[in-house]
Amino acid sequence: MHDLINRWISRLFNRGPGRSRSRPLFALAGALVGMAAAIAVTGLWHLGATAQPSDAPVELTMLLHVPEAQQWRTIADRFEAENPDLRLKIIEGPSATNAIEDLHTAAFILGDSPYDLIYLDVAWVPKFAAAGWLMDLRDRLTPAQLAEYLPGDVAGGRYRDGLYRLPFRTDMGMLYYRKDLLEAAGLEPPETFMELIAASEQLQRSQGVDWGYLWQGKQYEGLSAMFAEVLAGFGGFWVDPETQAVGLDEPAAIAAVEFLQRTIASGISPPGTTTYTEPETLRLFRTGNSVFLRNWPYVWNEVNRPDSPIRGQVAIAPMVHAPGERSGACQGGWGLGINRATRHPEAAWRALEFFGRADVQKQFVLENSYVSSLRSLADDPDIQAAYPQYRTWVEILDNYAVLRPPVPQYAQASDILQRYLTAAFSGSMTPTDAMAAAARETRSLLGTA
Amino acid sequence: MTSSPPRRSPAIAFTLAIVLLMIFCLAPVLWQLITSIKVNADIETIPNIYWPSRQTLSHYAELFVRRPFFNYLFNSGFVAIASTVLCLAIGTPAAYSLARQPIPGRSLILGLILIVTLFPYILLFLGLLELARAFGLGNNYLALIVPYTAINLPLTILVMRSFFQQLPRDLEDAAQMDGYSTGQMLLNILLPLTLPALVTTGILTFIFSWNEFLFAFTFMTEESLKTIPVATAQLSGASQFETPYGPLAAATVVGTIPLVMLVLFFQRKIVQGLTAGAVKG
Amino acid sequence: MPPSPSRSRTWPTVFLFLAPAIALLLLIYGYPIARSLGLSLMTQNLGTQLEPQFSGLGNYGRMVGDGRFWHTLGNTAVFTIAAVTIELVLGLAIALLLHRKFWGRGLVRTIAILPWALPTAVMAVGWAWIFNDQYGVVNDLLQRLHLISGPINWLGDPALAMVSLIVADVWKTTPFVSVLLLAGLQSIPDDLYEAHAIDGATPWQSFWAITLPLLMPQLAIAVLFRFAQSFGVFDLVQVMTGGGPAGSTETVSLYIYATVMRYLDFGYGAALTVVTFLLLVATVAIAIALLGRRGLRQL
Repeated sequence: MHDLINRWISRLFNRGPGRSRSRPLFALAGALVGMAAAIAVTGLWHLGATAQPSDAPVELTMLLHVPEAQQWRTIADRFEAENPDLRLKIIEGPSATNAIEDLHTAAFILGDSPYDLIYLDVAWVPKFAAAGWLMDLRDRLTPAQLAEYLPGDVAGGRYRDGLYRLPFRTDMGMLYYRKDLLEAAGLEPPETFMELIAASEQLQRSQGVDWGYLWQGKQYEGLSAMFAEVLAGFGGFWVDPETQAVGLDEPAAIAAVEFLQRTIASGISPPGTTTYTEPETLRLFRTGNSVFLRNWPYVWNEVNRPDSPIRGQVAIAPMVHAPGERSGACQGGWGLGINRATRHPEAAWRALEFFGRADVQKQFVLENSYVSSLRSLADDPDIQAAYPQYRTWVEILDNYAVLRPPVPQYAQASDILQRYLTAAFSGSMTPTDAMAAAARETRSLLGTA
Repeated sequence: MTSSPPRRSPAIAFTLAIVLLMIFCLAPVLWQLITSIKVNADIETIPNIYWPSRQTLSHYAELFVRRPFFNYLFNSGFVAIASTVLCLAIGTPAAYSLARQPIPGRSLILGLILIVTLFPYILLFLGLLELARAFGLGNNYLALIVPYTAINLPLTILVMRSFFQQLPRDLEDAAQMDGYSTGQMLLNILLPLTLPALVTTGILTFIFSWNEFLFAFTFMTEESLKTIPVATAQLSGASQFETPYGPLAAATVVGTIPLVMLVLFFQRKIVQGLTAGAVKG
Repeated sequence: MPPSPSRSRTWPTVFLFLAPAIALLLLIYGYPIARSLGLSLMTQNLGTQLEPQFSGLGNYGRMVGDGRFWHTLGNTAVFTIAAVTIELVLGLAIALLLHRKFWGRGLVRTIAILPWALPTAVMAVGWAWIFNDQYGVVNDLLQRLHLISGPINWLGDPALAMVSLIVADVWKTTPFVSVLLLAGLQSIPDDLYEAHAIDGATPWQSFWAITLPLLMPQLAIAVLFRFAQSFGVFDLVQVMTGGGPAGSTETVSLYIYATVMRYLDFGYGAALTVVTFLLLVATVAIAIALLGRRGLRQL
């Protein structure tokens, strides 16, 4: 029978009987042994790395996007120093915040999210809360405690009757302008859209400035945030939080699109605007050849660095608006929520209390040019010394905050808006048609058709 | 090796075509290799430097010291090997059965098996997500091993079946006369015979499982459980405004080396499996 | 029919041998398709607190007015048709090249299948680097050859991003096509060519008269496999462009993924899955019908 087997092996592989088995078998055996050894080594290394004594401190895990993972280092160390029984493990995620949102979403959908603390963008709260992923914090905080935070930030953490996010830092869109250029031309900071266009054109002509107004036109979340401000400035609305009515096809919304379109068409904004996110617009602004920039608070430190060509020449104002309407400042910002299924709810709550403390937030604000959600820090002398404009930021937010629609389907609604804004900017649809389609799809999404 | 090529064309044109083919296949990989050993200043420079005078291994060090790339390699290797073993263990008996045993509706079964090899995995995504939830398999190697095994079953069955069909029946008859049961016969007599075929299909399964992205991307959310393709795709720099080109290139090299080795050693087997799976099915 | 052993003896082993494989295939292939069919008749999303509510064909109705769905379908079609066509032509050329005998053919064949074996997601990272707008080697080479005057933003331009994806896909999967076609070439007997040559035919004529017709089964299989795979392309696009810029490279599978994982719109995601499935089945059925009965038998 052995003969029979050998004959068939040779026939199958057209080899001489002598070589038939040894070569492939040797190769296979070698490969398998090599892999087994590699796995054993890495496996042991893996075990060694994760083994922990049983009385180890409780470890809380948190996912942060790239710049903040570094920026949190010092306050995280302080947290561990003050709470020896707790550890805070910061996982460094991708730099794009929507990739972070996707990672959290995947982890929660699968039912066993490894993250105890959730660092939440204000725009994620309705989705995460509606899906039942976050612990309701309303019984843990008294109204007096909540009153210490900016009201817009607290509102951004609510969904239905619950409170799911403790505000940490806040964000708002605003207009940065070159006070030296405006002064040289004898101009006041603009208040209306028309004034902004007029000032831009005049300075582009008289001062030889390349660009008048820089804004973020790429198809991404920043476009929705920027548009929410222009829309508010024209007196329009996106989705009414009470009635779920959609206002994207109303005249104010179409006027908003036409204004943005006009800035590119008339050469006030660069043709590449439709590919710009915040860093690109900041980079252009920093070279010193532009007058106006729409952006967030972090820009302040960037334009005032020692190596910045426009250091000390920049001032801020609320976004411009149509005559008779009010400015809009898109409310962004981040806060902390707790995974409802966390194994360490009390430890997680202690972490929230720690990071909500004024002295901790003050340290974070001084180390990074962010705006705290705590109202009291606006009066802090150290912060005022470091950031003379800090109080203006808080005032802009107090007076002009615009929330993006707090609906659970926000991510989808935002994608619809971005897509049709892009279609209008690229000229493939007229503003009226694009906004009519955006409104129709948004209504269909929200079930208000 | 005696038959001459059907026709002869100018040798220069032919050599040129072969050289172009080599460049086409190798250049993208070699460019990653070159990038991965350049210092940052040489990476971010225009015009590009093709032959770096300064070399560094710091990008590789970054992967293995600052980041858990040993972990990722382990995860990929473990999942791929487990899927391969499982796939062969389940697929081989089924292939034998479909080759030799009287199965009602065999051609229907074979037809369905052939058709599912055409399914893009995105069609399975929603259902598998629900299964992973229902069985609580998030962040569990099984969430990858089970689908990888199933996805490679059709090819394994088709290739193994065609190998079994080429075996002589008298072998099995002889074994049965010797008193072997079907299971014993498969294990003791046919298995050694089909070892080369097992290697062929096993390598294909291994390659697929090492490379798979969609499920690994979704079902493994814990950093320490990620596989090489996902970890490489999600590698990010220390700041928002800086892309870590060097470590990215190094990660590309690390993730492809095991497969380059496989191809170098088993080129013949891979070709055999690919053609057998697609043509003989 | 060979004489089969008595059924009572073989049935337990048949069951034992076949059942695990069938069960696993049903679980991993059968369940998801059936589940998507059922779920596509429900609305289950954040608007319903993730609870399923029966909504009949509502999801399918919504698809008709969903501009993004049609857009992604168009992108998928462009990607698939362009990539598969180029891969077929190039794959055939490479197969003809590798079919000849020359010194070092074994090594060349080994290198020629290398791209196919490498992880798509990992090489997508590599291709994004190759097409990088600032330091990418493609821009550098084109500038050295004076074909372009300044760097091109490959992945930032809607049309060029699609071109970049197609180039990367052609690189990755042409080896698969050429391996299949090479096997087909090897099965064509040499005497056919010799006889044809004696009749005075040029190589070009015998390519059309002999090679191509006899290669039809392999060509058909290659088209079928590549079509199905390109139609569901995910990793390459997800890693290289993420569907951007401005959704210009978003394929149907990326849209399904976003609908499920980002929007948590499970009912609609299921409906998208079902429609993609049906489109694929319909196209494959048409292709097989066009191949005719002869081609089908050879499959």
